[in-house]
Amino acid sequence: MNTSTEQPGISRRQLLRCGLLGTLVLATAGGIASVTRTLRSGPGTGYRQLRESHIPMLRRIIPVILDGALPAGEADATVQAVLDGLDRSLDHLSPAMRSQSLQLFDLLSLDLTRGAATGIWRSWENATSEQVANFLSRWEHSRLALFRQGYGALNQAILLVWYGQPLAWAHCGYPGPPRF
Amino acid sequence: MLIPDLFRHGLERGWQVQNASQLVEDLTLEADIAIVGSGAGGATSAEILSAAGFRVLLIEEGGLFTSSDFRMQENEAYPTLYQEGLGRLSKDGAITILQGRAVGGTTLVNWTSSFRTPDQTLAHWASEHGVVGHDSRSMAPWFERMEQRLGVERWAAEPNANNDVLRRGCEELGLHWAVIPRNVRGCWNLGYCGLGCPTNAKQSMLVTCIPAMLDQGGSLLYLARADRLLLAGDRVAGIECVAMDERCVAPTGRRVRVRARHYILAGGAINSPALLMRSEAPDPHHLLGKRTFLHLTSFSWAQFDHLINPFYGAPQSIYSDHFQWRDGVTGPMGYKLEVPPMQPGFSATVLGEPGTPGAGLMEQLPNSNMLLALLRDGFHPDSASGTVTLRGDGSPVLDYQLTDYTREGLRRSYLSMAEIQFAAGAKLVKTVHRDATPARNMAQAREIIEQLPLERYRALLGSAHVMGGCPMGEDPQHAVTDSLGRHHQLENLSIHDGSLFPTSIGANPQLSIYGLTAKLASLLAERLA
Repeated sequence: MNTSTEQPGISRRQLLRCGLLGTLVLATAGGIASVTRTLRSGPGTGYRQLRESHIPMLRRIIPVILDGALPAGEADATVQAVLDGLDRSLDHLSPAMRSQSLQLFDLLSLDLTRGAATGIWRSWENATSEQVANFLSRWEHSRLALFRQGYGALNQAILLVWYGQPLAWAHCGYPGPPRF
Repeated sequence: MLIPDLFRHGLERGWQVQNASQLVEDLTLEADIAIVGSGAGGATSAEILSAAGFRVLLIEEGGLFTSSDFRMQENEAYPTLYQEGLGRLSKDGAITILQGRAVGGTTLVNWTSSFRTPDQTLAHWASEHGVVGHDSRSMAPWFERMEQRLGVERWAAEPNANNDVLRRGCEELGLHWAVIPRNVRGCWNLGYCGLGCPTNAKQSMLVTCIPAMLDQGGSLLYLARADRLLLAGDRVAGIECVAMDERCVAPTGRRVRVRARHYILAGGAINSPALLMRSEAPDPHHLLGKRTFLHLTSFSWAQFDHLINPFYGAPQSIYSDHFQWRDGVTGPMGYKLEVPPMQPGFSATVLGEPGTPGAGLMEQLPNSNMLLALLRDGFHPDSASGTVTLRGDGSPVLDYQLTDYTREGLRRSYLSMAEIQFAAGAKLVKTVHRDATPARNMAQAREIIEQLPLERYRALLGSAHVMGGCPMGEDPQHAVTDSLGRHHQLENLSIHDGSLFPTSIGANPQLSIYGLTAKLASLLAERLA
C-alpha cells in the first residue's frame, strides 16, 4: 500500500504544507463555492447542474478512474456519456447531497483551491494521467477525512454512472436486461 | 408480451389519487386517519384501516411509478426510486444507505426476502426493552396473515448460480443454509427486484395493500413531503405537507394541510424520527433518532471458472444463519449471510475499485459472485448504533460510527465469507475493502483479512435495512411509543414502521414490519371504532 509520503516528487514538507493549506481551503470551500456560484452564470451549456468549470476537471479524472474499462477509440463519446450521467444524478440528489457534491467539484476545479487541494497547479487540461493518478492516491491515503471521503465519492459516483449505461456492458460481459 | 399495469387500470377506474407536484394552489384535506409513508408499515395499516370503514389518506413523499415504468435499467431506477436520489449516506459518507422513496416505499425495490422476526429477537425485546405482547406465539398469526396476503413462500425453483455459491460453500463446510421465503406470485425469475418489478410478480405494496385501500375508497397523495406535525397540547392537530416537484427534489411552493382524527407515521427509520424532530414533538427523555440500526453490511467478491451470470435470476434465494445466534443473542456480533443481485452499476459501486484493478474484476463479472453479511447491531451494549440529526434545511442525516465490537464482527464476517467462497470452488476472493488484494486460497485470504485496518473509508460498507430511532416499549423513559405503537406523549399519534424496533431484527425486516403493523393497525381500528 502506498502512503502519501511515498509519492514520488513530493517532499514531506510540501505535503504537510498541502495538508495545512488543504484544511484552510476546505474550511472556506463552502464560502468560496457560494461566492463563485453567484459570480458565475449557473450550470454549463447542456447541463442542468454541472458548471462550466467542472468539465475540464471531470474530463481528466473520468478516464483515470475508468482506466481499463473504457472502450478503445471512443474516449470522447464515453467520457461525454459519463458527464451526462453525472449531471442527471446530481439533478436528482437531495439538495444537501447535491450541494456537497458541487462543492467538491468546485474545490477541485477553481483556480483558488485546485493546486493546494490536488497538487495540480497548472490547468486541468494540461494535467497528465500520472498527475491525476497521484492526486487520487494522495486523497485516498490523506490524513484528512474529507479528502478520503472525497476520494470515495468521486469513485463511486463515476463507477455507478458508467456501469449503469449500455456503453459499459460489453467490457463487463453483461448482455443487458432480458427483452420481452 | 404485454403485462397488464394493475395500478394504471385502477387509476382509470377512478381511484382517488392526487399528484401534489401539479397543484396550482394550496390544499386542505380531511380524513379519519392520515398516514405518512406508503411503504410496508403505512400501506399495510392503510388497507386494514380502510377495510374497517375509516376514511384513510395515505401521504407519500416520492413519485408514482408503476410496472410499465420499470425497464430494468439501473441508471433510471436509482435516481428516481431511492431516498435522496440514491445519495443517502451516513453523515461522514462512509456507509451507503439504500432506502426506497416512491409510492410503495422500499417494498418497491427490495429483494423480496421475507423472514418472520426471529424468536430470539422478540424474546430479547421483551426481556431488555419492555416490549409486551409481541412474543413469538402472539405474533405468529400476524405473520401468517401477511404471508398469505403477500404470497410469501420458500422459493421453489432452483437458486441462481450466485445464490448457489452460498449453498454449495455452506454444504461443503457443514454450515447451516436454507431457502429464502419470497413475497412473489408468478415470478419470472428475472433478477431485477431492486429496480422495480416489471411483471407485477413481486407483491409489493404497489400491487397489494395500496390498490386494496384505494378500492375501499381510501385516497393517496404523492409527491407530498410531510414537513411538520401541527401540535396542540398533547394532540396532533394537523400535518403540514410541502408539494414536491416531479423529481422529488425541490418544493414547488404549494402546501397541503391535512386534518384527521388520528395520525400514523410510517416514513421508516430516519424519516419518522426526523419528522418528529422538525415538529418539536415532546421527547422528554431524548430518545428520538437515537439507537438507529443498519444491519451494517460487508461484502466479499469471488471469481469462479464457471459462468454465474450473477445479474440474472431471483436475487436472494439462499441464506445462512450459521453465524447469527451461535455465540448467544448478546455475545460477539452475529450475522446473516446472503448474496446481492449483481447488475453492473451496483456491483462496480460496491466494489468501489477504480482503475485497472477494478476494471479487471469487472471484466470477470459473468464469472463472479458476491456474498454479503448483515451484521446484527443493537443487541450488545458496545455495538455501534446511529443517531439521526437534522441538517440546516431540515432534512435528516444519520451519524453512524463503528466501534471495536462492530469491527471484530466485520473481520469475522470477511473470514466466513471467504471461507465459503473458497469451499464453493472460488479461484480468487477479494474482500471488499480498499486494502484487500485478491487472495488465491484461504490461507492467503486469512493473512490479508487479519491485517485489514477496519476504518471508515477503507472498509466499503452499506445498509439496506434502517431500523429504530422511535423505539417501542412500555417505559416512557426508554421508548417513544408503547408496545402498540402509541406515542407516549401525543394522544392521537401512532408510529407504524421499522423505526419502532428497539434493536435490529437479525433478518431482512420487511415481514417484521408487515406483521407488527398489521397487528397494530387492527388493534387501532378496534380502539377507534
